[in-house]
Amino acid sequence: MKRQLGNALVALSLGIASAAAMAADIKVCIWGTITGPDALVNGMSYGTRDYLEYLNETQGGIAGNKLVPLLLDGRYKLDEELKIYRRCVDQENAVVVNGWSTGAVKALRDQINSDGVPFITESFSSEVVDPVKLPFIFIAGPTYEQQIGIGLQDLKDKGGKKVVFMHGDNEYGRGPIGVVRKAGVLEKLGLQLVDAVEFPYDTQDVTAQLLRVKAKNPDLIYVQGSTPQLLVVLRDAAKVGLPAKLFMGNLYNISPAIPEQLGANANGFRAIQAYADFGSNIAAMKEIEAFRAKHEVTRQDVYYMKGWMKGKTIAAAIAASVKKNGGKVPADIKAFRKSVRDEFEAIKGLDVGGIAPPLDFANHQGSTRARIAEIKDGRYVPVSDWIESR
Amino acid sequence: MNKNPKLTGVVTGVVTVAVVALLAIAGSLTLGRYGATLAYTVAIAGIGALSLNLLIGYCGQISFAQGALLGVGAYAAGSLGNAGADVFAVLGGGIAAALVSVLIGLPAMRLRGLYFAIATLAAQAILEYLFKTVEPLTNGVSGLLVKPLTVFGVAIATDQGYAVLAIICLAITWLVLSWLMRTNLGRAFLVVRESEIVARGMGIDVARTKMTAFAISGFFAGIAGALLAFTARLAHPEMFGLSLSVDYTAMIIVGGLGSQIGSVIGAVFVTLLPEAIQRAGESLQMADLTFAIRELMFGVLIIVFLVFEPRGLSALFRRQKGVRPRATAAASAKVA
Repeated sequence: MKRQLGNALVALSLGIASAAAMAADIKVCIWGTITGPDALVNGMSYGTRDYLEYLNETQGGIAGNKLVPLLLDGRYKLDEELKIYRRCVDQENAVVVNGWSTGAVKALRDQINSDGVPFITESFSSEVVDPVKLPFIFIAGPTYEQQIGIGLQDLKDKGGKKVVFMHGDNEYGRGPIGVVRKAGVLEKLGLQLVDAVEFPYDTQDVTAQLLRVKAKNPDLIYVQGSTPQLLVVLRDAAKVGLPAKLFMGNLYNISPAIPEQLGANANGFRAIQAYADFGSNIAAMKEIEAFRAKHEVTRQDVYYMKGWMKGKTIAAAIAASVKKNGGKVPADIKAFRKSVRDEFEAIKGLDVGGIAPPLDFANHQGSTRARIAEIKDGRYVPVSDWIESR
Repeated sequence: MNKNPKLTGVVTGVVTVAVVALLAIAGSLTLGRYGATLAYTVAIAGIGALSLNLLIGYCGQISFAQGALLGVGAYAAGSLGNAGADVFAVLGGGIAAALVSVLIGLPAMRLRGLYFAIATLAAQAILEYLFKTVEPLTNGVSGLLVKPLTVFGVAIATDQGYAVLAIICLAITWLVLSWLMRTNLGRAFLVVRESEIVARGMGIDVARTKMTAFAISGFFAGIAGALLAFTARLAHPEMFGLSLSVDYTAMIIVGGLGSQIGSVIGAVFVTLLPEAIQRAGESLQMADLTFAIRELMFGVLIIVFLVFEPRGLSALFRRQKGVRPRATAAASAKVA
């Protein structure tokens, strides 16, 4: 009996030792703008990191392999981002890299291909979405151009006609508007562009431009800008008597700062919403609440939800890859990265706990659907169902 | 056996630079991609800092257009490289920036001191605007995608390759500027910096001397910009903003104005200090904290250096070695 017990103990300890020896750390590199001009939306990075930690705590990682999220600060500076990318790929041996800016992903496009590393970018530029030419690059939602399309479709459905575009003088502002205009989206929808206003990205006053816009009597003023720019635009719009309900922004304009700082002047402002808001009655929120019970969640906004959703997606692709490899992490990092990329592309109908509609990544976007949210009494309230962009 | 001390000094200088460059190249080849990235980042910053030091430190012309001049070099070299100009694209970037630098320097004929500095600030703003708007040349706000640099038909495909190239360019820049400062022209720069009236009294053509300084400084700024474009594979308007000019000014002040070694030390300091702070934070499990205070610590350290050692890090090193600090531009300014 003693001998049997001894053998069992030896076998058990050998099993534990061999399992420990086989378990591997799976590094996921996330760089955001922790400090810098885009820091307002950096919940996108914290959310991803927190989901991977949550998975470690609740499920022991993936098939017994611990996930190691590494969060770094790209500061929205191209040279810093390029440096971090090399650290992630070369030094940290990350299996997935989650980067930030449009400039960085464009600069790195060839290297991402040659490194063969699955790369998720926070950019929504259509220039970086190309499953054939850029097979390793993924985004997590509709492109800026598709978001504009959703806004214009909504205007058409409501019988509006006259459109004004307002945008910053940087790539984020000018690029998508240019693509939409060149593609003739307005003409196809039977809408009329009555004015296009470009302003400096760090503008502090657009009163003069808005007086010009007011004279055109538009039905929709679509602003391709960041939240600080929207604050200036909506503040000055109230000054010249243009109601917020005429304005629509993209998914980066779902910000509590807008109703908080503008008060009643923000009521009626609409923005494209691709992810459920923090605090929504959805399954993912229950996970977040469980995580929040043990950890501080500093960013409680829609961008954190996007981050959480990305975490789920990354974990799903890695889990599928590990499963295909018999529950083990492939020893060769290149093979592992390639396998995770393939599993990313194979994701179909992934349930992300209600943060967004089920995701399909064959098009490298996850979802091309979004809804429209409107500020009502200081809160963003969805006022449409999920709309497919076309 | 009579030794020519001047010749001996030159040979010693060249050999020292060659040895240091070879060691740096060997180091960057063994460090992997990330290490090579740091190596070329420092080397490019070193070239840019040396070029600005020539203008501000040696010739006394304060310029805030360094970032834009790097941009001119980047766009010119990127366009030439994309058109198949091979390694000559880098030289083309230098030449384009030299020409633009001379244009920026034209107000120097009439303006001096802070007034001229403001004129260069305006030039920075104008060039930034042109980067965004002259779409046929710059591809506007989207930025110009740049193909890998080819050297006599062979494309540089690795970060190590770019590190080697950048270190060689830094060594050449160092040697050329060292030689220049030993010539009559170099001495004329110093006299113009100290007093234009005295310079005229000595028969120096002040206007021509200043323009020459602008051209040479612009050329090397353009080389740095060209390398930046090829390593980033992109020339983008947001890469060459005023903050880049401020970074370069910080490099030469922290390193020691009017000192070549100071410029390179300043480039190393400004480029690597944020990285070092970040790594220290990560190893102490305080990464979130260092994200927030990294810029603050960087700024505080610069102020500390300016207060306690206005002649910069180079003077600090010389003092450690027991060498009496040379009269630098900062020291001259303090005396004045």
